[in-house]
Amino acid sequence: MALDLSVVVPLYNEEESVRPLYDAIVAGVAPLGVSFEIVFVDDGSRDGTVRLADEIARGDPRVCLVKFRRNYGQTPAMAAGIAEARGEIIVTMDGDLQNDPADIGELLARIEEGNDIVVGWRHDRQDKLWTRKVPSRIANALIAKVTGVPIRDNGCSLKAYRACLIKQIPLYSEMHRFIPAMASIAGPRIAEIRVRHHARRFGSSKYGLSRVYKVLLDLMVIKTVASFTARPMLWYGLLSLPMLAAAALALGWTGFTLATQGRMSLSIAGTGVIFLTSTVMLLAAGALGELIYKLGDLREHQFSGLTQHLLVRGAASHD
Amino acid sequence: MTDSSGARVDISVIIPVGRRHAADILALYADYKTGLEALGSTYEVIVVLDGPRPELASDVQRLLSSGEPISVIGLTRRFGEATALVAGFKRASGRIILTLPAYHQIRGNEIGKLVRAVGVTDLAIGRRWPRAGSRFETMRRDAFHRLLAGITGQRFNDLGCGARAMKRRVLEEINLYGDQHRFLPVLAGRIGFKVLEVELHQSPLDRYESGYPPREYIRRALDVCTVFFLVRFTKKPLRFFGMVGFTTFVAGAALVAWLAIDRLVFRHPLADRPALLLSSLLVVLGMQLFALGLLGELIIFTHARDIKDYQIEEVVRYPAATLPAQRPGQATLAPASSGESHPHIV
Repeated sequence: MALDLSVVVPLYNEEESVRPLYDAIVAGVAPLGVSFEIVFVDDGSRDGTVRLADEIARGDPRVCLVKFRRNYGQTPAMAAGIAEARGEIIVTMDGDLQNDPADIGELLARIEEGNDIVVGWRHDRQDKLWTRKVPSRIANALIAKVTGVPIRDNGCSLKAYRACLIKQIPLYSEMHRFIPAMASIAGPRIAEIRVRHHARRFGSSKYGLSRVYKVLLDLMVIKTVASFTARPMLWYGLLSLPMLAAAALALGWTGFTLATQGRMSLSIAGTGVIFLTSTVMLLAAGALGELIYKLGDLREHQFSGLTQHLLVRGAASHD
Repeated sequence: MTDSSGARVDISVIIPVGRRHAADILALYADYKTGLEALGSTYEVIVVLDGPRPELASDVQRLLSSGEPISVIGLTRRFGEATALVAGFKRASGRIILTLPAYHQIRGNEIGKLVRAVGVTDLAIGRRWPRAGSRFETMRRDAFHRLLAGITGQRFNDLGCGARAMKRRVLEEINLYGDQHRFLPVLAGRIGFKVLEVELHQSPLDRYESGYPPREYIRRALDVCTVFFLVRFTKKPLRFFGMVGFTTFVAGAALVAWLAIDRLVFRHPLADRPALLLSSLLVVLGMQLFALGLLGELIIFTHARDIKDYQIEEVVRYPAATLPAQRPGQATLAPASSGESHPHIV
């Protein structure tokens, strides 16, 4: 890779922000003395965003513009930008000027300290309290609890990653909120820094409360996927244990009444059979899961390789 | 696929010939030809025989020896219209791909309308209008398209019409197989192509097979299910299975709880209650659905790097010398691979 740093910015209907954003990024990054590029990803904007971004790209070879055919959402935009980025470190940020590119320097410094992921924490968040901040607080607590990645602000887009790590992490659905959680399958060293946060100057927020349900489901998916992909059989086996217990109970009772009273309850016997069937089906699903994992192209050892550090005599390691 | 630098024609016409085809394909070809000639563009015609068509052998020979810009691809067995289309597309070099049905659906002189529409849209699909047919036929067709619109959010009126013109890119980026040909507009609209319906005069020769066999209804219903999953849940299986499974599970668990209370508090014996069966069935069903959803999620996760859920139109880098800009479509959905190796192209 030729460059030190790629700044990835998804844009969606941000025509007022593009130019100031570009200026701010250049002003924030240029003094750092690193080679960098800016990757704008236009997420199917319907206003003048594309034209403006194209103009900027024309005037500055460090700017790359990825155009989407239509609006796909923030996660695909991030994923596309990350795929296109050529820097060794990738910084992602929002296109709405709420993040301050002046913080990029500190993100980089923390990466150089040996962290794989540095996330921003909008400790002084400039948003509406009840519709944005409170739900976000609850969501973050939940995400931290479930994923075990103690980040106070998952919603902040200003993050820095080692490219070799983030490029290997599958990003789909609406997972941009959970990139650190998703990346945690690779066991990265994560640091959190305080970043500035500005109130929205232009445009309106594109992300509302309605996504809570999707976030919760995505969270569940990440949790199960991150912890159990490598051992589906074990997981389905655990799931089937209560079923097996219920089946044993019902069938045992049936056997007992048959032996002692010479009759049995059809309902209870039937219930036992249903649960037994379910146990078998779950185990079969687990076996299928093993097969899928085996034939898939993601392996746990690939992830371990991304963040491992080598302890060799004479060489200094990171921590 | 023909190299883009080679001599290209403007329009590649692909005619997949399936079970149903015009009795006299020479007449059909002549009809289409008048429409194509009127356009004044260069064109080539690719006829794809989906399975052996011995009854057409002599007609095909005559077409081939007539000096027309035509080539014929014969598939060794019936692979389905979509596969035939893909096989034809691989030989096509035109900037615009025009598919035409193998029987009289539209008048040949209407082709121009369709092709010109590609100037303003990515995919132009024909709609036979005004349309002949009984009132029942019309209602059936309308119900089908309405249902599909409810599922996909895209309203079309005549997906059965095989006359479609599109930019080359559309077929390059869509992975078609089996009988999905019918749903090409839905899939194209889904990934962000502009789709436009163009009203075309129906050919007077477009007649209906007497009666619509029940088998067709079943196939249509399955088609609708397929599209439903393709469009809605391919990327998020757990959202669907999880939702249904969770609802079922909760219903079952509530019933179990009630039965337990009834047993413990009101002392109704459990043994003679069929509701116990129902509740346990619901619980189990819910768990199974959930387990299936997770399996789906596992499939997505382990293949997430191949499945890109976005389409890049273009990557702009100035100056282009530093890195060759990616050709549109390269970093997008995996190119059509299913069925690619199966048809034996002769």
